[in-house]
Amino acid sequence: MNVDENSSNIVKLLRELNGNVENLSSKIDRMIELQASLTEILSPKKKPSYEGLPLDVATLLSLPDHLRKTALALSELGEATATEISKKTGRVRAAESDYLNQLVTKGYVAKKRKSHEVYFYIEV
Amino acid sequence: MVKALAVHSYKGGTGKTSISANLAALYAAQGYNVCLLDYDFKAPSIQVLFKTKIRNTLNDFLEEKCEISDALHDVSKKYQMKGRLYVGFAGASTDSMREMMTKDRRWEMKALQRTLSAKNKLGDELRADYLIFDTSPGVSYSSINALATSDFVILVSKMDEFDMEGTKEMVHGIYDSLGRKTGLLLNRIPTEQFPLGAGQKELEEAMARTFNLPFLGVIPCYCDIQVNGGKYLFSVEQPKHPFSQELSEVIKRVDQQLKAI
Repeated sequence: MNVDENSSNIVKLLRELNGNVENLSSKIDRMIELQASLTEILSPKKKPSYEGLPLDVATLLSLPDHLRKTALALSELGEATATEISKKTGRVRAAESDYLNQLVTKGYVAKKRKSHEVYFYIEV
Repeated sequence: MVKALAVHSYKGGTGKTSISANLAALYAAQGYNVCLLDYDFKAPSIQVLFKTKIRNTLNDFLEEKCEISDALHDVSKKYQMKGRLYVGFAGASTDSMREMMTKDRRWEMKALQRTLSAKNKLGDELRADYLIFDTSPGVSYSSINALATSDFVILVSKMDEFDMEGTKEMVHGIYDSLGRKTGLLLNRIPTEQFPLGAGQKELEEAMARTFNLPFLGVIPCYCDIQVNGGKYLFSVEQPKHPFSQELSEVIKRVDQQLKAI
């Protein structure tokens, strides 16, 4: 084997090595992507949440418009049925009942039964 | 039924206290029963104007140490007004202000409920026609509690860029979110910026377009108010003064807005 052949073989080997390194590099990239996806699935980033906080003005401002109106009306009345809230907001009772129960689910409002009526109130 | 007004601004130094106290005095002079409440717990100042011996403060009311009626002081006789003017003062001692800084969100929630219930009580017990809140500037718990309780917000602004930009943001971020109707009042406009004749109409229209709010008026910067504004109630002592006259016009525009609500 002469010097030219040796040089040609070395260049060929280096090209193969470069190709393998590029393959390896792209596989490592893919593994990093997969790991990131897996981490997101196993422990998703928590979205900021105001749920469970007191129903103060900061919470009120964070609520969607339809729930804010209901929550403000309840703040003013202290304790009320869905019918009483609907009289204050001018919206139908069924909608107010739904919104009040959404506020209960979020932990801002509590409810109790007195005879046949359900009363909603803000726990202080 | 009592109507609640909040006098608010984005920045300090817009003249909120002078405007709220003088509006309250003008309404009482017309024969209405008015409650003026100092909700600027960070920098209380209404006590300087009325110079009255204070029994209970609004801090005591919010702390559940007294009822709202116990925290109000009837000053109508002193000013010989046709109607009643009751004033609620914020605690002006350093201890009171420090105490208010330490309140948590649960306390602020109760403060909102007490403020909302006070509105109804003042209408029933004192037969109040108007409730006027003087608030702290910008976004603070006490000012937003007052805004949430009010039927109408008088937004006071000077004509500098800092004030105008912040004011625009506050209109959309706070007032619109709370569903509060708002009117814009420009105050302390330097003489060189104060337009006359047709120029004033143009300014009003430009402001109404910029803020998309009803316009309540433009009040120039009066040197005598800068000097004596904190010493006495201008609208009572100097009813013919242009400041008092302009505020009388503001009252008419506010009442028009309240009728539409």
